[in-house]
Amino acid sequence: MRLDRLLLRAAAFLLLALSAGASEKLRVVTTLPDLADIVRQVGGARVDVNALVKGTENQHAVVAKPSMLIALSRADVFVQIGLSLESSWVPGLLENARNPRIAPGKPGFVNGSDGWPALDVPASLSRQGGDLHPHGNPHFNLSPRAGRHLAARILAALVANDPAGRSEYEAAHARYALALDAAEARWAKAAERLRGVAVATYHQEFDYLARECGLVIVGTVELKPGIPPTPAHVIGLVDAMRVRGARLVLTGAWSNTRQVAQVAEQAQGRVVELPHAVTNAQGSDTWIGMMDQIHTKLLEALDSLPRGP
Amino acid sequence: MPRSNSLPVFVFTACACSTFSLHAQGSPFQTPGMPLVKQPVAGQGDGKADGQSAGQSTRFSSEFNPAISFALDGLLTHADFDGDEDGFELELRSGEIGINAWVDPRAWAYGIVVFAEDEVALEEGAVHFTGLGGHRVLRAGRFFVDFGKQMQAHEHELRTIERPAVLREYLGAELAGDGVQFDDWHSLGDETVLRYSIGVFHSLLGEVEEEAGSPFAVDSELKELDELGYTARLTAFTEVGDAGTLQLGASARLIPDFGFELDNGASAEGLDNSVLGLDLTYGWADETNTRRFTAGLEWLFDAGDNGAAVNDSGTPLDPSDDTIDTFDETVNGYYGYVDYAWNQQQSAGIQHSWLELPEPGEPTLSELDVYYTHNLSEFGRLRLGLTFVDAESGADGMIAALQYTNVIGAHGHGVNF
Ligand SMILES: [Zn+2]
Repeated sequence: MRLDRLLLRAAAFLLLALSAGASEKLRVVTTLPDLADIVRQVGGARVDVNALVKGTENQHAVVAKPSMLIALSRADVFVQIGLSLESSWVPGLLENARNPRIAPGKPGFVNGSDGWPALDVPASLSRQGGDLHPHGNPHFNLSPRAGRHLAARILAALVANDPAGRSEYEAAHARYALALDAAEARWAKAAERLRGVAVATYHQEFDYLARECGLVIVGTVELKPGIPPTPAHVIGLVDAMRVRGARLVLTGAWSNTRQVAQVAEQAQGRVVELPHAVTNAQGSDTWIGMMDQIHTKLLEALDSLPRGP
Repeated sequence: MPRSNSLPVFVFTACACSTFSLHAQGSPFQTPGMPLVKQPVAGQGDGKADGQSAGQSTRFSSEFNPAISFALDGLLTHADFDGDEDGFELELRSGEIGINAWVDPRAWAYGIVVFAEDEVALEEGAVHFTGLGGHRVLRAGRFFVDFGKQMQAHEHELRTIERPAVLREYLGAELAGDGVQFDDWHSLGDETVLRYSIGVFHSLLGEVEEEAGSPFAVDSELKELDELGYTARLTAFTEVGDAGTLQLGASARLIPDFGFELDNGASAEGLDNSVLGLDLTYGWADETNTRRFTAGLEWLFDAGDNGAAVNDSGTPLDPSDDTIDTFDETVNGYYGYVDYAWNQQQSAGIQHSWLELPEPGEPTLSELDVYYTHNLSEFGRLRLGLTFVDAESGADGMIAALQYTNVIGAHGHGVNF
């Protein structure tokens, strides 16, 4: 082959590679798999998304891995929950990844809790209130209303970072909104049976869920968020559960400890392990699926209790 | 028997300030003879209130204040060594005030002032410049050297109550230097990170804990480039399966020129020392990130001139004609550990450190540590540790320690690799 032809081929190959690069998908990295699912729903084929943590993990204490650093250093868009949920691990990762596209304040940095009215925002900050929720309760991914809020935030972020995809994103968002309408109607129906049911939880992670479906939380096994229980606290909680007829103790996979089992046993009730984020498991691998599963498990748990006096 | 000193025992340097004031920003009241200056009263309100009332930031506004943290490290120990008196000791090992803030869009700075052993010192104070593009960081000031997996941390942040014996002997209980360090990382594929750092320091001797009559390490105040201290580290951090990480590293600390001196003026000059280390760390966490297992091994080689002792062969018992014997046999040692956390609060571990001391005959020293840690909250920690010491050239013994550590205020864990 002659040299000029070889050069021509090389140039053509280069051009092809460059154009392939230009049409590359928007790289989105999220903290929770819940956010990744909603990005997938709204972003469709235009985005390539992955979540840094598994849905089974304790979201407050995540161990940084090299793949997280690399994913963040390559991302076009980063989506977090915020409200200090990820404060012990995300800032360090962002600082080391040093990706200007996703630096706080840039369009590629998306804080999912912006505009979300948080519960339990402390009036004054003190560690007397525990360690983990200094900006209010961050576990709003478990609110039945979170899907709608996050989908709107994510739509705005995707359009801002990839304006050419606006019509596709808006169409996908509209389809997702319809799915949410149907899902919210299912959850409202389930809530009719859950309203007024008294429960205890391990961590304050089901507060938004309880508010929406009318569950009454009589107390947490933890003394405060991030502070393990004292024996006196456990006795007080069991008393409160007995007095108010609470027989279900709600917990996530990360917090299903012996203490939770003890509390449930002493209160003559049972432990209900609920998904606290989207997982790889079938059924809870989308945010809507996870919320469906939570409501189903709650109703099953309610049905499994012996009828009280 | 001559008292000998291995090289790098670190001692806090005293600073002129004997008391530490938290209210360094100005006096809230006027004393006779002071010029009348109309100023807002410090501490009157937060920055927002100031901003609202004055419409401007003032020097009493808090908007631009750095983040502040405070750490306390308290220790109750009981030491029992052969031939020694045994007893309890209760001490506040250190109180530490840290501040840090961005100084411009491309640089942030931090300072850590430590109160320990009745002295106050600036333990670290450095600027991190991040404007070089990529993942490059240039830091300048005083900071802990980047060597292996543990030297970067302050004592109260360690997994164990003290640093492993081999690190204490070859590098120092803590090793900070005044200098400049460059570091950068690159990805290899999707799951492996390669990081390196190179540091240049005015001095990496640390201060020798001066035992009366024994030689102390010195180096010149003004230096040529080839007399500065150097550090280097190269490490690869990768993932093993879904739940594991593996890290490999190599580190070096080079001191090309230093000397030993005696109180009587005797000296040994033109000495050099190199410490090389290899480290291997494996970490595993279950799918809820609650149960965690960590195992690590770090092997060190201490080469060149690594110790000195008094030569009393002149007039017996007369120190005025003593000279210095230096040691230059390459010695080596290691520490290895396994730690296991079985829930959010509780973990336990066992660590063994063995090393050759840089003295004639290279006597060995080994320490076995068994420790239990209880995290009372994210910021309060209780630790119980037992250390069994087996020394070929000294007393064997056991130390039991109860440590309480508390960190208040802003502090970040970052990515430690
Ligand atoms: Zn929480």
